[in-house]
Amino acid sequence: MAKNPIIVGLEIGTTMVCVVVAEAAPSDETRILCVGQADSRGVRKGEIVDFDAAHEALRDAIADAESKSDVTIRSAYVGITGGHVTSLNNRGVVHLPGERNEISDEDVAEVKLRAGEVSIPTNNAFLHNFIQQYRVDGRDGVMNPVGMLGHKIEADYHIVHGVRNRIQNTIRLVREVPLEVDDVVFSGLASALAVLDREQRERGALVIDIGGGTTDYVIYRDGAVHDSGCIAVGGDHITNDISMGLRVPMARAERLKIEEGGAVLGTCLPDEKIHLRGEPGFAARDIEREMLHQVIHYRLREIFELLKKRFDDERHLDYLGAGVVLTGGSSQIPGIQHLAEDVFGIPVQPAQTPPLSGLTSALANPQISTALGLVEYARLVQDEHPSEGFWQRMKHRFNRALGSR
Amino acid sequence: MTNSPLPSAKPDPSADRIKVKVVGIGGAGSNVLDRLVLDEAVEVDLVSCNTDVQSLASSVASQKVQLGRTLTRGLGAGGDPEIGFAAAEEAAAEISTAIEGTPLVFIVAGLGGGTGSGAAPLVAKLARERGSLVLACVTLPFSFEGRRRREQAAESLRAIQTYADAVICFENDRMGEIVLPTAGVHDAFGRTDQIIGQCVRSVIDLVQRRGLIRLGFDDLLSALRNHDSRCLFGYAEASGHDRASLAADEALRSPLMDGGTLLPRVAHVLVNITGGADLTLAEIQSLMQALHHRIADNAQVLFGATVDSRFNGRLGVTVIGSLPAGAFPREEAKPPSSGQMTAAVAPAPGASRPATVAPRAAPLEPPRAPERFSPPAPAPARSDSTRPAPTRAPATPPEPPPAPEPVYRGRFERSEPTIVDGEDLDVPAFLRKGLKK
Repeated sequence: MAKNPIIVGLEIGTTMVCVVVAEAAPSDETRILCVGQADSRGVRKGEIVDFDAAHEALRDAIADAESKSDVTIRSAYVGITGGHVTSLNNRGVVHLPGERNEISDEDVAEVKLRAGEVSIPTNNAFLHNFIQQYRVDGRDGVMNPVGMLGHKIEADYHIVHGVRNRIQNTIRLVREVPLEVDDVVFSGLASALAVLDREQRERGALVIDIGGGTTDYVIYRDGAVHDSGCIAVGGDHITNDISMGLRVPMARAERLKIEEGGAVLGTCLPDEKIHLRGEPGFAARDIEREMLHQVIHYRLREIFELLKKRFDDERHLDYLGAGVVLTGGSSQIPGIQHLAEDVFGIPVQPAQTPPLSGLTSALANPQISTALGLVEYARLVQDEHPSEGFWQRMKHRFNRALGSR
Repeated sequence: MTNSPLPSAKPDPSADRIKVKVVGIGGAGSNVLDRLVLDEAVEVDLVSCNTDVQSLASSVASQKVQLGRTLTRGLGAGGDPEIGFAAAEEAAAEISTAIEGTPLVFIVAGLGGGTGSGAAPLVAKLARERGSLVLACVTLPFSFEGRRRREQAAESLRAIQTYADAVICFENDRMGEIVLPTAGVHDAFGRTDQIIGQCVRSVIDLVQRRGLIRLGFDDLLSALRNHDSRCLFGYAEASGHDRASLAADEALRSPLMDGGTLLPRVAHVLVNITGGADLTLAEIQSLMQALHHRIADNAQVLFGATVDSRFNGRLGVTVIGSLPAGAFPREEAKPPSSGQMTAAVAPAPGASRPATVAPRAAPLEPPRAPERFSPPAPAPARSDSTRPAPTRAPATPPEPPPAPEPVYRGRFERSEPTIVDGEDLDVPAFLRKGLKK
C-alpha cells in the first residue's frame, strides 16, 4: 500500500479504457504503480454512445488497475475528447490609468480576466485556458509583467472549450463507478504532456495523438499551447475502410490493420498477397497487400492533410523546432512517420517514453500516453498551486472546467 | 383548443390582399429593408425614413422620406433622439402621405441612436392616427454601446409601446448566441437583419397568404394582444423524412424563445406551418404534438397551415407566443452581459381601445389572395461551414443540404457524422479520393 498521494489518470477511449495509477513521491518524482486496461465498449469517436456498456468497460479497467496496484482508487483525472472540442486564442488588453506606469498584481489579474472573457456558444463550457505570453507596450514574450513599467499590458490566452453536456456525460459515467473526478483534461493536451519534454515544448512541437475514434492535436510554441483540437477520425475509420474496401468482417479488418498494415505505398512485391484463413462464415481467400496499404494510406494521408490545412493559415509549421511527435494506438502502423513527414515536410518522430519511474516497460506503449499525460497534468497542477488545500484546489479547477463562471 | 377556420375556397385577385407597408427608420431600419428586398421575401411597399441623405440615397425602398430637411440638412441625427424626433416632426406631413390608407404598418427601427429612437415613436403615432394597425419590430443596442444609448432605447421603446399595437423587440446582445464567435462583424449584423426580416416576413405572410387552414390578422392580434405581454418568436425550416419534428424542435429551441424554457408559461401560441404539396396530415399532427408537449395545457393554440409549391420537400414552422405579464424579467432590469434576447411584445395598448379595432376588422378581411410565397432565401455564406453553430438562428433557414449520396458508412452508419469542409469523413477515404478497386 502506497504512503504517498495517489494520482490516477483515466482515459475512456474508443478502443480502450486506460487507467494509470501513480504515486506522487516527495522527491518531485512520479512513480507509475500500474496500468490498468480494458477493451472499451459503448464509445464511438471518443464519446459515449452506450452508457451501460461504457460503464461496464470502465469498471473492468478500474478493477484491473486496483488488483495490479493494490490501491483503492477514489478519484481520477479524466480525459475528454470528441469532435466537439475546439480551441481559440484570445488577447486581453488593459491600459494602465493615468500617471501610474508600474504594473501591479491587480493589473495582471485584470488582463487575465479580460483574456478569458471570450464568447463561446452557450452550450459550451471552458475546458482550459492557458497563458501563452504577456505583452507590455507591444513587446512580445514577457513572462511575468508584475513590477515592470509600461502603459499597456496584453495577455494572450489559449482557450479550449467543448459542449457542456457531452463533457458531463463522461463525468457522470465516472461518478457512477463511483469515482470522484479531480479534473477533466482535453486528451490531446494530456498526450502532449506525456510525450514532450520541457525542451521540446520550448522549441515548438506538434503532437498528434491518433487514437481509436479521434485524432487529437496540440501545438506548443515557446513553451505554451498555441493551437489544439480534435478531428473525430481515428483508427476505427481505418478498420472500417479496410472492412469496406476489402470486404472482410470488422474483426478481421482490425486484425489485418494491426498485423499487416502499412501506410507507405510501393513497399510491397508486385502481386504480394496476404492469405486470409477461412473461418466459419468466411471463406479463405487472398487479398493484395498493396490494396490494404492503399486503403490505410489514403485515410492517414487525409488526416494529416486536414491537420496541415488547419495549421497553414497560422504558419505554425514554420515554428516547430522539435518537429512532429506521433502517439496514440494508430501511430503504431508501420510507415506512418514517413507519410507524416511527406505531408508536413518537417521531421516526425514516434513518442518517446516519458521520464517517469516505475513500470517503464508499460510506458513505451503509445496507447497509454493520454492516461500518462493526465498524471503528468495532475503533477503540474499540484505544483502550480501548492498553497491551496488538495480538495479546495480540485473543487476550484473542476468548477472552472465546467464553465460555471 | 385549436382554432382552425375552414379554408376560404374562393380564388381571389391578388389586388384584394391586405396592404402592408414596412417603414424602416434610421440606419438599422433601412438595413432591414434592404435585407427584405435581397431575400425577395414579401411583396410589400417599403418606406425608408432617414435623416442621413447618403444612407437614404442608397436605400432600395420604393418610397423615401427625408427627415429634418432643414434641421439636419441631410446629415444624421448625431445619436440624439431629440433631434431625431424634431426631424421627424418636420417631415410629419410627408410621412403621413406615405402611410396613408394602409391598414397595416410595420415599423422597423434600431433603438439607441438618434433617428431610430427619436422618429419611430412619432411614426407609430402618425400611423395610428391614420387608422392603421401598427406593429413595431425594434432592436435594443448592444450592452457595450454604453448606458446612455441603452437608456435612450428604453425610453423610446416605452414611447413606441404607447402607440403601437404590438412591439417585437430583439436584443442585440443575444446575437452572440446566434452568430458564431468567429463570424465577421459584417456577417453578424447581416444575420441580425435577417432575423428581423424573417420576423417581419412571417408576420406579413401570415396576414397575406391564403392558408389551407387560415390564420389571419385577427388571430395574430389575439395571440399578441395581451395586457403587458411579451412574446416569443421562433422560425425553423427542415427537410428530410423527419422534418416535422426537426423543424418543431429547432423553432422551439431558438434563442429568441430562450431555448424553449419559457414555453410552458405562454398563454397564447400561434403556429403556422408551411409546406409543399407533399405536406402530410401526419406531419402536421406530429409537429403539433411536439409543440403540445412543450406548452401548458391551458394555453390557447392558434394553428394555421399553408401549402406552397415552392416549399416542396421542405417544411417551415413559425411560432409566435405571448407570455402573461410578469413571466419575464424586463430587459432593462437584466444584467447586460446575460444577453437575453427575447422577442418581447410590448403591452399592446390596442387592447385598451378595442372599440377602434372592431370597425377596422372589415377592411382587414378581404378574401385572401392566392399569394405567391417566396421561400426565405438561404442563409448568407457561412464564414466557417465546418463548424455549424450549435444554436442556429431561428430565423435562418438551414442551408440546403447537399444531395445525400447513398453511401454506406459502415460502422459509423448510426453515429454522428464527422463533416469537415463539406466532406463526410466517415466515408472511406479511398472512395472519396477516387481510388478504384
